[in-house]
Amino acid sequence: MDIKKILADATATLGVSGHEAEVAAYFAEQFRPLVDEVKVDAMYNVIARRKGNGPKIMLCAHLDEIALMVTKIEDDGCVRFGSVGGVDPRILPGSRVWVHGAKGKLFGTIGALPPHLMSAEDRTNNYKMDKLHVDLGMCAETVRSQVRIGDLITFNTPFTELANGQVAAKSLDDRACVAILLRAAERLQKLVCDADVYFVCSSQEEVGGRGAMTAAFGVEPDCAVVLDVDFALTPGCGPDVACPLDAMVVTHGPFIQPKLNKRLIDCAKAHNVKLTQTVAGRSTGTDADEIGVSRAGVPVVLLSLPEKYMHTSVETISLDTLEEGARLLAHFVSELDAGWEEDLWI
Amino acid sequence: MDLKTLTEINAPSGHEQPIRRALLAELKEKGFEPTIDRMGNIIVVKEGTGEKPRKRVLVSAHMDEVGLIVTGHTEDGFLKVTQAGGIDTRVLISKRVLVGDDNIPGVIGAVAIHLQSAADRARVMGYREINVDIGAKSKGEAEGKAPKGTYISFDTPYVEYGEGFACGKAFDDRVGCWTILRLLEEELPCDLVAAFVSEEEVGCRGASGAAFSQEPDIGIVLEGTTCNDLGDIPEVAQVCKCGSGVAVSFMDNASIGNRELFRKAIAIGEKEGIAHQVKSSVSGGNDGGVIQRAREGIPTLVLSVPCRYIHSPSTVIKLSDAESQFELTRALLKAL
Amino acid sequence: MFELLKKVLAPIGPSGLEGPVAEVIREEIKDVVDTIEVDALGNLIATKLGKAENPRKVMLSAHMDHIGYIVTGVEKEGFLRVTNVGGIGMNNSYNRHVVFAGGVNGVVVAQPVAGQPALKDLFVDIGAADREDALKMVSLGDVCVYAGECFRLGEHRVAAPAMDDRCACALLVKLLQTVGDTQDTIIAVFSVQEEVGCRGAKVASFAKEPDVGIALDVTGWGDTPGVTQPEIKLGEGIGVKVMDRASISNPELREALMAAGEKAGVKTQREVLPYGGTDAGAMQTSRAGIPVCTLSVPCRYVHSACEVIDMRDMDAGLKLLQTYFA
Repeated sequence: MDIKKILADATATLGVSGHEAEVAAYFAEQFRPLVDEVKVDAMYNVIARRKGNGPKIMLCAHLDEIALMVTKIEDDGCVRFGSVGGVDPRILPGSRVWVHGAKGKLFGTIGALPPHLMSAEDRTNNYKMDKLHVDLGMCAETVRSQVRIGDLITFNTPFTELANGQVAAKSLDDRACVAILLRAAERLQKLVCDADVYFVCSSQEEVGGRGAMTAAFGVEPDCAVVLDVDFALTPGCGPDVACPLDAMVVTHGPFIQPKLNKRLIDCAKAHNVKLTQTVAGRSTGTDADEIGVSRAGVPVVLLSLPEKYMHTSVETISLDTLEEGARLLAHFVSELDAGWEEDLWI
Repeated sequence: MDLKTLTEINAPSGHEQPIRRALLAELKEKGFEPTIDRMGNIIVVKEGTGEKPRKRVLVSAHMDEVGLIVTGHTEDGFLKVTQAGGIDTRVLISKRVLVGDDNIPGVIGAVAIHLQSAADRARVMGYREINVDIGAKSKGEAEGKAPKGTYISFDTPYVEYGEGFACGKAFDDRVGCWTILRLLEEELPCDLVAAFVSEEEVGCRGASGAAFSQEPDIGIVLEGTTCNDLGDIPEVAQVCKCGSGVAVSFMDNASIGNRELFRKAIAIGEKEGIAHQVKSSVSGGNDGGVIQRAREGIPTLVLSVPCRYIHSPSTVIKLSDAESQFELTRALLKAL
Repeated sequence: MFELLKKVLAPIGPSGLEGPVAEVIREEIKDVVDTIEVDALGNLIATKLGKAENPRKVMLSAHMDHIGYIVTGVEKEGFLRVTNVGGIGMNNSYNRHVVFAGGVNGVVVAQPVAGQPALKDLFVDIGAADREDALKMVSLGDVCVYAGECFRLGEHRVAAPAMDDRCACALLVKLLQTVGDTQDTIIAVFSVQEEVGCRGAKVASFAKEPDVGIALDVTGWGDTPGVTQPEIKLGEGIGVKVMDRASISNPELREALMAAGEKAGVKTQREVLPYGGTDAGAMQTSRAGIPVCTLSVPCRYVHSACEVIDMRDMDAGLKLLQTYFA
C-alpha cells in the first residue's frame, strides 16, 4: 500500500460535508481488497467489514472536508460564498479554488483588495467572509450559465512533501486518519483477530458528527475507536493546547471510557508505540461524542494524529506518526478478546 | 444509605466508579439485582403490584457531580485543570479539594489582594489561571501523584444547620439518588425502572442510553435545580424557594414537560397536602430532554429539589424539600 | 388554498401545546389518508399507503407549533412575567397583541430600560387588577402567542403570525387532498416542538423509519431594504434547500426535486441559509440515516407577528410535490 499516493489522491478528491459521494467511492475501492464487505450508505458513510466472531468494534475516521458554498452571484460576475464547516476567513485572501459548477470545475481565485487602497484601520482587521469573493474571470452572464447557488467551492492546493517525512495538503483532517484505517486493515490481514471489525469512514463530521451518529446506529457496535486529528505544536500553539507531531495522542475525559482507554494505553506500551496524552473536560469535538451515545451507549476511545495548521489548505502531518497509529490500532483490535467488557465500569 | 454518605462520595462526570460501587453494594445488600449498562448507568427493575398491563415508568437521577479534571502540570508542580461539568471559576478561589481516588488534599489559591491591580480585582480568572496546589515541588512529582485525566472534587463535608437546612456538595443530584433508593422500598402499582445515570453534567449522556435500552412508557426525572430565593432577587425572578416543597417544571431548556403529567403532579400535591411549587423559570436543562426524545418519544416530567448555590462547593437544600420530592413522586407513581 | 390556509392558521398552538392545530388538520385530512395517529409527544401522523409492490416510505414533515411567551411569574400588580418559547427576536417582540389558548387577551410590553430591552424586561398586561385576579385568568406555565387574523397584502401575498409553519401545514394538507394514488407511501407528519429543537420530528422519524425525508418549512428572504441574504425572493418560486445549520440536503434528492419542479413548470429557488434549521436535520440523523431535503416557502419577517408569504410560491410547492409523487 502506497500511503503517500493514497493521501495525494484522497485529498484531491471532492468530498465536502454532505456531498461525499466521490470520496466515498474512492475509499470504498481502497478497502475492497482488505475486507469481506464494503458498502456506501444513504449518508455516504463508507462501511467496510472484516468479519469475525468476537466483539463488534467500530473504527471511525471521517472522510468529509470543510469547504465554501456559493451563496450569490453579483452582477459583475463575482461569486459570494459562505462556509460548509468551520473555515477561517483569514486563510482565504489570495487562495486558488475550484468552483464545482453545473458543467464541471472552474478555476477561481479569491481576491483581496491591495493594502494601498485601504485605510490604516482596515489594514489591521482581518477579512470577513461576506466581504470576499471568487473571481472566475468571466462576466456575470457566463458565470450564471455555469454556476448556481449552492455549488461547492474547494481549495486548489496540491499535495506537498516537506522534510523529515512530513506532508501538507488540504483535508488531511481527517483523510490521513482514514489512511490509518486502511493501513490497519492491511496489517490485520497478518494478525490473529477475533473481533468483528467495522471500518467506518464517516460523513458530515465537520458539521456535527452526523454521519458517525447514523453509522453507529446502523453498525450497532460493542465499542468504538475514533481517529481524528489533534493540534500539533507550532509557534503560538503551545503545550497547553497542542501535542508533539511525532506521537499519537490519547484523550482522557468524561466522554472516553476509562478502562477501554487504559487498554489502549497498555497496548501501546506493550508494542513500544509512543503516545502522548491530552484531556477533554467534556465534548471531544470529534465523532466520539455522537458514537458514545448511540442507542444504549457505546464505550468509546479517541486516538488522535497530531496535525499542524488544522482547517487550512496546508494541513501538515508526519507519515511516521501515521504509520505508528496504524500499528497500534491493528494490535489493539487484534488483542480485543471476548473478556474486554468485564469490570468495565467497576 | 443516608444523604450525608451519598454526597460525600467523590464522583465527577466520567468518573462515577466510586458512587457506582457504593450504590451497587447498597442495592445488592437490599436484595435487588442491579445491572450496569453500556453507559455505566445502574438499572434496577422492580415489578409493580398492579394488574397487567402495567405502566413501565423510568425514574432517573444522575450519579455524577460537577468536578475538575487535571489537564497538565506546571514546571514548579502545580496542577492545571478544567471543569468536568459546569463550574464557575469564581467559586473555586480559596477552596480545598480532593485529588484522585486516593483523595490527595489540595488547595486552590490566588494572588493575594495586596498584589492585585484594580483591573485584576475586577477580572474573572479563567481556567488557564486556576492552579491546584497539592504541595508538589516539581512537575515530575505532580505528574506522579495526579497524572493527566485525574479527577478532582470539592472537599466540603455535609453539615446540617439552621432550621432544617443542609449544606454540602453534590446535592445535585445525590438527593435524587437518595429519593430513588427510598422509592425502591415502596410497593408500587407500576413497574419501576430505577436508573442511577452517568454524565448528566456533561450533556445528559447516561440517561439517553438508559431511556433507549429501557423503553419506558413514562419518564420521571428527579433532580436538584437552581434556586435563587435570597438576597436582592425580586420575587417574580425567583426560580423556586427553598422550603416550599418539590419544584415541578413546565419547561426548561431541554424539554417541555408533558402537560398531563404536570397537571396531575400539581393536583396530587394539592389533594394529598404534599408541599410543592411550580418551577417558575425556563432555565437549565437535564435528563428530561434526552428521555423525552428517546426512540418514539416518551412523556416526561421533572421533579426537583431546590438547591441554593448549585454547582458550588457549598450547596444548600432544605431537607423537607427532599422529603416532598419523595412523597410527591411516590404519590404520582401510585396514581399513574 | 387561501381558505384552507386561514383555517390552519386560526388555532393557538405554541410549542408543546399543539393539540388544537392537530384537531383542525385531522378534520381536513381524515377522509383522504389511510391511518391517522397521535404519538406520545403530540405529533399528528397520517399515512397514505403507496400502490407500488414495496413502496418507498417518504416522510413529509411540517411543524404545527408556533413561537410564544410562557408565563414564569406574576407581579403583585397583576402583570405577567414571561420568557420565550422558541426564537423571539427582541427587535420585533413587544407592543403586540397576544392571546392565550383559553381566549385571554394580553399586550406584551417592554418596561423602559437603557438601550434595547431584554426578555426579562418584557411583561404581559392582561388587564388584571392584581396577582390574585391574574391567576384566575392564567397559570404559571401557560403560553400566549401573537394574535391576529391573516390578511391579504396586494394580489398574491398573505400576512399572519404563525405563518411559520402553518403555511407548510396547509401545503401538506392540500397535497394529501389532491395527490390521489401514489407509488410511494406518504407519511405526513404534522410535527410538534420544531421551534425548540425539532423534537417532534426526531421521534416521529424514529417511529416511522422512512426511506426519504422532506421537510416543508419557511425560509428567510433577501428582497427587502437592507436585507440581501439569503438570495431568496418572494414570488420567485418554492425554495429547494441546499444547506442550513441543521442539515445538508442530499444532492440526489435535491436535484430530483428540482427536476420535478421543472417538469411541473413551476419556479424554484436554490437556497443556502446561513442560519436556522428544519425538521430535515432530525429526520436525516434518525436511526441509520436517510436522504433528506427541505422545500421552503419564502417568508418575510419570520418569527414576527406579521410573517408574509406569496401564494404563488405555495402553488409552486404544491405542483412540484404533486409531480414528484406522480
